[in-house]
Amino acid sequence: MSHAHAQATSESPLAASNITLPAKALVVRNLGVIGAVIGLGGGFAVAATGAFGTTVAHAWRAYLIAFLFGLSMCLGALFFVTIQHLVRAGWSVAVRRIAEAIALNLRWIWLLFLPFAVLWFLGKANMIWIWADMESLRANNPAEYHIVHAKEGFLNPTFFWSRAAAYFVIWAFLANFYFSNSVKQDSSGDIALSERMQKWSGPAAILFGLSISFAAFDWIMSLSPAWFSTMFGVYFFAGCCTAGYSTMILCTVRLKSLGTLKGIVSNEHFQDLGKLLWAFGMVFWAYIAFSQYMLIWYANIPEETGWFLARQLGGWAPLSFALLFGHFAIPFLMFISRWPKRYGPSLAFAGVWMLCFHYVDLYWLVMPEIPHDIGTFKTYSEIATKYENQVTHFGNPVNFLFLFGVIGAVGAGTVTTLSRVALVPKKDPRLADSLRFENM
Amino acid sequence: MATPVTTHSDTPAQAPRIHGLLAEFETPGDLMHAAAKVRDAGYRWWDCHTPFPVHGLDGAMGIKRTILPVCVFCAGATGTIAAFCLQAFTNSVGWTIWAGVWLTGYPFLISGKPAMSLPAFIPVIFELTILFSALSCVGLMFLFNGLPSLHHPLFKSNRFRRASNDRFFIVIEARDPKFLPKKTEEFLKTLDPTAIELVED
Repeated sequence: MSHAHAQATSESPLAASNITLPAKALVVRNLGVIGAVIGLGGGFAVAATGAFGTTVAHAWRAYLIAFLFGLSMCLGALFFVTIQHLVRAGWSVAVRRIAEAIALNLRWIWLLFLPFAVLWFLGKANMIWIWADMESLRANNPAEYHIVHAKEGFLNPTFFWSRAAAYFVIWAFLANFYFSNSVKQDSSGDIALSERMQKWSGPAAILFGLSISFAAFDWIMSLSPAWFSTMFGVYFFAGCCTAGYSTMILCTVRLKSLGTLKGIVSNEHFQDLGKLLWAFGMVFWAYIAFSQYMLIWYANIPEETGWFLARQLGGWAPLSFALLFGHFAIPFLMFISRWPKRYGPSLAFAGVWMLCFHYVDLYWLVMPEIPHDIGTFKTYSEIATKYENQVTHFGNPVNFLFLFGVIGAVGAGTVTTLSRVALVPKKDPRLADSLRFENM
Repeated sequence: MATPVTTHSDTPAQAPRIHGLLAEFETPGDLMHAAAKVRDAGYRWWDCHTPFPVHGLDGAMGIKRTILPVCVFCAGATGTIAAFCLQAFTNSVGWTIWAGVWLTGYPFLISGKPAMSLPAFIPVIFELTILFSALSCVGLMFLFNGLPSLHHPLFKSNRFRRASNDRFFIVIEARDPKFLPKKTEEFLKTLDPTAIELVED
């Protein structure tokens, strides 16, 4: 193991066949491209024709959810890479290239955001973000207009789009920086590259934290512009970690099962990826979700409680409970033990499970709308009775068409990247550490 | 290489009991090989002492995984239940129970919330779960390791001082059912240690 830097022989874990993406995996790229075309095309077709009773507003929100899903996978991976450099981690080198490749999708993910620009130019953005058209908000909901009007310095189209551009530039830049330096090291083995990546990981982490918080405020929280939660950015960050670690786990387990990474990625690395998913995706998510909920529940100020109230009406109540148990309680107990994290199939199951509930989480964040007449009721039960037939439209095929479309695009992008580079940073100075790594 | 074993010819009444046999090695690699052989020879009351954690030694010694995590989980679950019962009793249900004296719970009205408000209970449930887990984790770790212990027979050996510096030791204790002073010493010699020493209790 200590000869990780020695000449790669056919026996060595760093032999080319062991760290190159097998041709079989390129099927995933083709499937991804087909999925992207069918998913996105089909989704927009359903939206245009109104099949399955789909309203245009619903389709746009479904697309926003799918976009956020793909984005959060890449952002979670970018977070992983940044943090490994920040703490100078040794154990993770063996799986870092996979995260770098997933994060690299951030170079083009802005393309998936462009449809919203089109919508904006058509003057119909208020289907999603009601503050985009303040005049119609004033006409339809004067009470809300009054509150949102005070936020116009922040929530105005010019500033919104400048911020969006800034986020995409930051993410593309960071993903590109870590990927290209790491790949450069594959040929040169220059330790200065590691030092450079470490040196900039502090500022990178700060930029990352600020950009994803504000992106969450802009794209999700401003869907209910009168409502606010200072915790919201962190909540979205927890979701990004869930998606990012799950995706990394699925890629790693699949690459192992294709026969690559033998003697490089071991059960020890599986266990640590599992720990991270357990800690960030289940525990940290629940901690943040509850911290956000409890303060609002306890203070009981109408301005704040409306947002949660909308998520308790009719069909949203079961979905909220599904989130509580599916995103936290059940997987928390299922994966608290050591062995499910060390065994490939059960770890992959954790990844799939958490990705499913991450989607439910995003759906729960984006889709519900606070009823306009919420201020006119005397009691909770009056509201609950009036809206007991609220439907979530969770099963609408347009949701899944868009979702598979975005997953297809991100999957194809990731596989394409991995097919061009080694599957491990083969000359990273800490690779030998990572190969030897063992959980005590 | 092996130093002669010190023998004692005191009267039986005052004869110090033997703690075990100490074998010294120079490198972690030598220790690992020796440990695997001690394991295969079927000894059970024995241990390795190293200046730093040696990866893979657990496997070479054939140590089973500790049951500590299971105990900690149970303690944590106890904390969860205890915290819920405590709050439900003191704030919500108004039952009268006997716990040495008669106690009656007092349903509080707090900011108009229902008396049994689970969200309000969660922080305390969380705290007690962590508290019970953490305390039981540390406490049971001490217990399972036989700590605290004010003295250990191995501290009588001057040679053993280097266990915290640059030497690696295997100790086979006399209470091991397979321990026979002569035979065990012969066995240890086959492991090629740099020294063997008899340690008294």
